[in-house]
Amino acid sequence: MTARIIWTCWLALILLLSATTAIAFVPLGSLNLPVALAIGTSKALIVLIFFMELKASSGLIRAAAGAGFFWLLIMVALTGSDYWHRTDQRTQIDTTS
Amino acid sequence: MAETILGIQYATREQHREAVTLGMWAFLATEVLFFGSLIAAYLNYRIWFGNELIAAARHTKIVLGTANTAILLTSSACMAMAVMTREAGGRRAPVLWLLATAALGLAFVVVKGTEYFLEYQEHLVPALNFDLSHYSGTGEIFFVWYFCATGLHALHLLIGIGMVLWLAMRIGSDRLESPSATRLIGLYWHFVDVVWIFLFPLIYLAGRNG
Repeated sequence: MTARIIWTCWLALILLLSATTAIAFVPLGSLNLPVALAIGTSKALIVLIFFMELKASSGLIRAAAGAGFFWLLIMVALTGSDYWHRTDQRTQIDTTS
Repeated sequence: MAETILGIQYATREQHREAVTLGMWAFLATEVLFFGSLIAAYLNYRIWFGNELIAAARHTKIVLGTANTAILLTSSACMAMAVMTREAGGRRAPVLWLLATAALGLAFVVVKGTEYFLEYQEHLVPALNFDLSHYSGTGEIFFVWYFCATGLHALHLLIGIGMVLWLAMRIGSDRLESPSATRLIGLYWHFVDVVWIFLFPLIYLAGRNG
């Protein structure tokens, strides 16, 4: 790790932050959330690979690091496979009236 | 650097380094699932409630949120500098970078507190003063989630600030015994940054284009 790599990563992170904030104001319809999450994932990868040194780590460390995110994807996918496809009417929760 | 003695279970310094790094990542994997369940809950709400949830998210303070994200990303760069200078055997440089990291972390907490205060004034705090006649029931669900997610994140950050200050004192007085402490606390700090990288678009960027 060198100071040059660290501050290049920092610049990339700040540019991606500016980009995602700017794009949020552009009407993309239902694409806004996936685009924001894709840019967020890029930022997270920069932090994971360079700041958290996965680039210089052994396969064992990388596997351990990836395991948490892999299990998270399973959790989200299985939760979504149920809840995101329910067609029954949800209970009205607005109590303003 | 203070001379350190490896535990008898380690044959080499590299083996020690690998083992403690693996241990930290095992802990961080549990943290991924901890915060990940909050993010999964948000995605469910977003798909269930759609525009009602997005309308509620519009009440968050995007300028403060974006500034706070920049502060936290910069603190991570400072933390990486602290680890790099410490690995190179330095003492003064890592202490200064650690103090910069902690100061930026504190700045984040202060900005976050300002946001909470503004939200309190706007009657957006569930259980304290949430105004159902102004905001929808879905809005209250969003803000319950918002205070849980950002509160737990801020708690992690406060713990991180405590560890970073402890580390700076230890290095400054040359009483740090573990050769890996700086890297491990660095991993924790960067992880808290990664959590915020995902919370930021979900909280602040929803519904800005309408």
